[in-house]
Amino acid sequence: MEGNSVVVEIASIVTDEMRSIVGKEMRRVVSYPVTAQDIRRWVIAVWYPETPPRQYWDEEYARQAPAGSLVAPEDFNPFAWATPEPALDGPQVSQTAFSEAELGVSPPAYSAFILSEINTSHSGIAMRPGDVITGLYSITKYFEREGRMGHMLYTTLTQTLTNQNEDWIRSTDSVFIRY
Amino acid sequence: MVQLEDISVGDELPELQRPGSVRHWSRFAAVNYEFADHHWDDEVAQAEGFPGAFAMAPLLQSLVYATLRSWLGEGGSIQEVNIRLRSPFLKDRQLTCRGKVTAIEKQDDGTLVTLDIEQTDDQDIQVATGTAIVVLQT
Repeated sequence: MEGNSVVVEIASIVTDEMRSIVGKEMRRVVSYPVTAQDIRRWVIAVWYPETPPRQYWDEEYARQAPAGSLVAPEDFNPFAWATPEPALDGPQVSQTAFSEAELGVSPPAYSAFILSEINTSHSGIAMRPGDVITGLYSITKYFEREGRMGHMLYTTLTQTLTNQNEDWIRSTDSVFIRY
Repeated sequence: MVQLEDISVGDELPELQRPGSVRHWSRFAAVNYEFADHHWDDEVAQAEGFPGAFAMAPLLQSLVYATLRSWLGEGGSIQEVNIRLRSPFLKDRQLTCRGKVTAIEKQDDGTLVTLDIEQTDDQDIQVATGTAIVVLQT
């Protein structure tokens, strides 16, 4: 007992092996050159059923807009479906998913895998048609607690995007829960 | 397009609403490679402890960007978006995205506008909460 609260010991499922990979580069992904059509598809999907803002799909209009050319919205994903690195050599899992196995470490057993938090910072530099984007991924934190669904492992996956000029575009900390 | 001189603490952004429909989710799945079964199959979602199939978290995040961009117009830039998912956004419900200005801070290279973000469904269930920072040139 500490004061009026009860301290409950939680049996950790985070192994020393798992702790050893915190902060290490887990995955490096390079996009194919972004196309205007990739950007159009993205905004049409996100804004459905509304018409997306014109600066994201009309190149002529975009030239007169503050960005000066067609640009991707800040949330655009340049890696969906296929990338040259890693090369597509078989059916792909969702690129938002991850596993410690990517660094040769056994992941914990779990039956569900959900995203609980997304925190993104942007440089103000936009992705544009022709850009080749590199994404670096690492696990940056583990946290465990008992929840409604039993023992829950919170894992922060940090993704950093840069362009072909090595300009930082954005960084995202995604917190996943496994239980 | 919002003008800096028109923004005050307490201002509420125009609401953005979206139905929880497979028509929308399938379009997002197609551009984000987002095919986990719990977004499509009620039984899978229920086996994971949810009431039924639910929307993808990255789509909810993208709808925060859409809410901000609808308000900003073509100017300004989005510097931060942080969201915490509180409850699943279930199929056939209606999502409302809201934003409220909480701080305005003038800096040398622009003015930072901080906002609280909230998404609720048509049963007044809080789906997501968060904060955002946008930068407007002075």
